[in-house]
Amino acid sequence: MQFKKNAKLRTLDLKEGMFRGMPIYVCTMILLTGILVLSVLYAVTVGSADLSVEQVYRVIAYEIFRYGDPEVWASGAVHDIVWVIRFPRIVLGVAVGMGLAVVGVVMQAIVKNPLADPYILGISSGASLGATLTILLGAGILSGVSIGMGAFAGAMIVSFAVIAISGIGGRITSVKLILSGVALSSICSAFSNFIVYIADDPERFRTVTFWLMGSLAGAKWDSSLRVLVIVICAILFFVTQSRMLNLMLMGDSTAITLGTNLQPFRKIYLIVASLMIGFIVYQSGVIGFVGLIIPHFVRGFFGVDHKKLLPLSALCGGIFLVWADVVSRTILPKTEIPIGILISVVGAPIFIILLIRKTYSFGGGNE
Amino acid sequence: MKFVNAEEITFSWGDTEILHKVSMEAEEGRFIGVIGPNGSGKSTFLKCVYRVWKQNGGTIWIDGKETSKLSYKETAKLLGVVAQHNIYDFDFSVKEVVLMGRSPHKKLMEQDNAKDYEIVRKALKEVGMEEFEKRSFAGLSGGEQQRVILARALAQETKGFILDEPTNHLDIKYQLQLLNTVKRMNKTVLAAFHDLNIAALYCDEIYVMKDGKIFAYGSPKEILTEDLIWNVYEVKAQILEDKNGNPHIIYCP
Repeated sequence: MQFKKNAKLRTLDLKEGMFRGMPIYVCTMILLTGILVLSVLYAVTVGSADLSVEQVYRVIAYEIFRYGDPEVWASGAVHDIVWVIRFPRIVLGVAVGMGLAVVGVVMQAIVKNPLADPYILGISSGASLGATLTILLGAGILSGVSIGMGAFAGAMIVSFAVIAISGIGGRITSVKLILSGVALSSICSAFSNFIVYIADDPERFRTVTFWLMGSLAGAKWDSSLRVLVIVICAILFFVTQSRMLNLMLMGDSTAITLGTNLQPFRKIYLIVASLMIGFIVYQSGVIGFVGLIIPHFVRGFFGVDHKKLLPLSALCGGIFLVWADVVSRTILPKTEIPIGILISVVGAPIFIILLIRKTYSFGGGNE
Repeated sequence: MKFVNAEEITFSWGDTEILHKVSMEAEEGRFIGVIGPNGSGKSTFLKCVYRVWKQNGGTIWIDGKETSKLSYKETAKLLGVVAQHNIYDFDFSVKEVVLMGRSPHKKLMEQDNAKDYEIVRKALKEVGMEEFEKRSFAGLSGGEQQRVILARALAQETKGFILDEPTNHLDIKYQLQLLNTVKRMNKTVLAAFHDLNIAALYCDEIYVMKDGKIFAYGSPKEILTEDLIWNVYEVKAQILEDKNGNPHIIYCP
């Protein structure tokens, strides 16, 4: 059965094939963009408040196209639920999903290991410690941007540290990578918790629990758009770097014989990835495993070429998070589960399966 | 004209000196072999030439240019490398692997164009792998993978090749197939060999290394003597000549 399914996929040739003069992966990108837009439009109609589909789209139509009667659709409870609460939250979900998936792809290329993920490597914990410290030092006078920068700094320190530690004594192996990630992650969460524990004003750190669980609740337009802009710019940057990311998978020696010293690129990519993680974690908290599952899934169909892998992973990540958010808002009546908890429940077992399959590689060549 | 010219290369790992004032040259169009026992430094020397490692002393010129003053990209346009370890556990297609040979010719954001794909096809044809274009690299046999790596080096369109023990672990058929393809190209080749008989078959001249130094240099016929093999490898051997006049080594334990 499995074999037959594979044979069918081969004849479709997702990696190299053409469909009406366009490479199939480009067609898939267009298709996924459509699915993403439809998912967003569906997700905005779902929620605890009982609104009709028509009401929801009327508000959106008014806000985007100035279509409709301002008296009815420009303010009021319905307007606020759709445009002030739900929509920015879904936009944040799209940005976070895209960003986490792409950071996963990039981290995996940097360390040449498909088990890398910002959560597993402790980078997300570093970001939340950075944000917590910034809030402690800034005593509430800081803007969102500076807390985001604090999270960025935390993410960057941890990402350079985890690579330095797991590189001690030669090649970076999965075991060293995961152990150093776990160690750094515990240090960072310990400090975050300590800061909250000793804080004179616990209310200021109410958000720490939220960081530890991961949640899209409380999204605002300006912060959601900020994350979206950062994430999209970073994705475009990485798409232009596809050749380098491919070379990273070949290893440093081979890359040198092909004319590239990867070291400086690795540093730049770590900085850009940390910037993304910093702002994502500041807005949405620690959401794990997206960067692991999505790239793994896309590689299985489209191969490891980053020119295809990056945009497809971004789109799948966005779609995945929108739906995970829908589920987290609707699965329990009258309340919502933090999305980070929901994704961990699904993601951790997948991570264990990947660990057990020792032959697992980029795309699963030698299985 | 000397294509590769290395003068008094020294290289140390911590306190251990691995190469001691090794000088070597390869005239344009010649097939130069480097032999020596394990740990003699032949692979280390080649890695200094193709710049994976940096020598502590001495100078290397490639095509008349000093390598320490060249960018890695410029070096990669002069030298293609087929190395010993090419075990990649990822799922690039054969075409994608060979296409990477074009990267030294590409600007940072430049896309691959029709000419690159043409060069890739030609390189794959040259190594007899044109029908494997869409296959997964990881799924190929060792011999096939090494031929794809040779095609990648060909796609670099360089004047010179470095073979860093490329035929280790390959069946004899694939060893000969790979070296025949390289020989046919009439490029300048600097190659490290394990197997003395293979070296004798393909090389115009051979450098013999021992303990990080050049021990001897000359044509295979001059070099491969019973005395030298005893002195370098500590093995008793008998040299026979085949009907083409090539020396053949028979080991006498």
